[in-house]
Amino acid sequence: MSIQKELPELLQAGVITEETAEKIRVYYAQQKRSSNTLTIIFGILGALLTALGIILIVAHNWDELTKSTKTIFAFLPLVIGQLVTGFVLFKHHNQTGWKESATAFLFIAIGASIALVSQVYHLPGSLSSFLFLWMLLGFPLIYIMRSSIASLLFIAGITYYGAYANYFEHWRINDYWYWILFLGVLPHYYRLLKNNPQSNFTYFHNWLIPLSLTIILGSVGDDVAEILTLDYFALFSLFYLIGKIDVFSSQKLITNGYTILGKLGISALLIFTSFDFIWEDMRHSSNSFLDLFNSPETATAAILISLVVVLLILFYRSKNTLILKDYWSFSLPVFALLFMIGFSFPYTAVLVNLMILGLGIFTIQQGIQQNHLGILNYGLLFIAILAVCRFFDSDLSFVLRGSLFVLVGVGFFASNIFLIKKRKQHEN
Amino acid sequence: MKTKIPYYIAFILLVMVQLYIVFKMVWDQETVLENGKAFKFEAQPIDPNDPFRGKYVSLRFKENQFHSENEEEWHNDQVVYVTLKDSAGYAKIAHVFASPPADEADYLTANIDYITTWKTSTPIIRIEYPFERFYMEEHKAPQAESLYNTAVRDTNQKVYALVYVKEGTAAIQDVFIDEMPLNEWVKQQSEKNNEPE
Repeated sequence: MSIQKELPELLQAGVITEETAEKIRVYYAQQKRSSNTLTIIFGILGALLTALGIILIVAHNWDELTKSTKTIFAFLPLVIGQLVTGFVLFKHHNQTGWKESATAFLFIAIGASIALVSQVYHLPGSLSSFLFLWMLLGFPLIYIMRSSIASLLFIAGITYYGAYANYFEHWRINDYWYWILFLGVLPHYYRLLKNNPQSNFTYFHNWLIPLSLTIILGSVGDDVAEILTLDYFALFSLFYLIGKIDVFSSQKLITNGYTILGKLGISALLIFTSFDFIWEDMRHSSNSFLDLFNSPETATAAILISLVVVLLILFYRSKNTLILKDYWSFSLPVFALLFMIGFSFPYTAVLVNLMILGLGIFTIQQGIQQNHLGILNYGLLFIAILAVCRFFDSDLSFVLRGSLFVLVGVGFFASNIFLIKKRKQHEN
Repeated sequence: MKTKIPYYIAFILLVMVQLYIVFKMVWDQETVLENGKAFKFEAQPIDPNDPFRGKYVSLRFKENQFHSENEEEWHNDQVVYVTLKDSAGYAKIAHVFASPPADEADYLTANIDYITTWKTSTPIIRIEYPFERFYMEEHKAPQAESLYNTAVRDTNQKVYALVYVKEGTAAIQDVFIDEMPLNEWVKQQSEKNNEPE
């Protein structure tokens, strides 16, 4: 049914040209493809919801059933998941919808089965050890089924595990398993980026991976918390640079979690460190230089900073001048320097304020050059937030603070009007 | 077609490992319940909640401390091996070892929760048992807790967990209040409370 069938008639009657007819055919072919994407999405959602529903039903704990019945039921979701996934592997391996839905179901079913057995036999074990076993048993699915949903569920699972184990359970011990498990996903991610850089699964990875790292990085240590600021700054700078690699930067910004998280993270940390109390705590830190030097936090900072330096060198070699002209790429070296002098120099916060101002002005200029209202207003907003923060520092006079606000407000108006006018000129 | 065979083999292996792990969890527990030695651990229940495994009654055991005599180094979260003896019907810690005892079959594996040397010359080890969770039907777990709390106020009811122990593994069979399984006791108590006075 549809216009496609009418095309010959319309052509004959001379209502449309051959060219238009071809365009209509292409249009409907694309529609078909997007409905295929929908089938995949609904397939996966259906499988996930069913499996999660089973977990909830399991959690009710049916004490009317005998132990042996419950034990048989414990194997049921697992076996069904395995049968369906096995069937798909042998018969329909090229159909993404089938493959990803079945794998999603099996992945969750593993958890349901372990949960039910734990419940029947009152097995001990914290939430994190349960998640750990689950993730280990699910991990091979990523590579055997070549499944991205398995990889996404795995990343989400190990993040839950890492956060729970480090932030809630063993607050004294560092659990490094997350990092080992995380390395396990990278080959799959690499293959995705190489073969399907434009698929939705890749986009989800582009967000989930930096998010997961951001959540877990804070767990690397807890004795010398002050270094964590530098760790996070280095991580966000690394994200920012990764986001500038062609495979990410050539796509829509919304699919690039690295650039967005990196820029937001750098901005937030700079605003945070523009307050003097942060540096005051550091100046009065009770940790000796040796404590600081020997901490896992410092080791992490060293690793991350090295990675940033390596990326910068690679960009320099590839003559990627856009990156080298972007001041955000170099915010880490500057911040690292400020951080080091921050332990003794009393006016570091002032320098951070100047750095924000510099980056803000640079971003505004960048926005005007690229004729991009988003970038322009990001720069303005950055400076505006700086101004709001300084509003609360009572040691500045009201007149000075007031003038600052007026200046920023006028800046907003002026630069936006300037850019819009410039655009109109181009259009004319 | 040929290139797919390693994936098939890997998948079948994975299926077997997944089934084996879950099956082994069942098997280990069944073996201990079948052949292990039974001990009664005096307990006090409280009820928390696990997002995947449901509601459970968390058990606190009265017999959970051990005076260490030897000079061995203990540390928090260390895995230890606990041998038990019977004292007036209930389990008592006989000894705590850092490695599995060779001449004893009825020991269990546990963790050191923490160590204290407060007011003593030798360290006191607080043991965390591997059976501190008793999963119950979602509505019964909180009920069990509140009923238990009212029950202990007026009588001296004995609560204990019946635990089977064999070669390091422990399996909890049931929790009893006044010699009655916790499930039945909750049912009976809530019926009693619902009767018109």
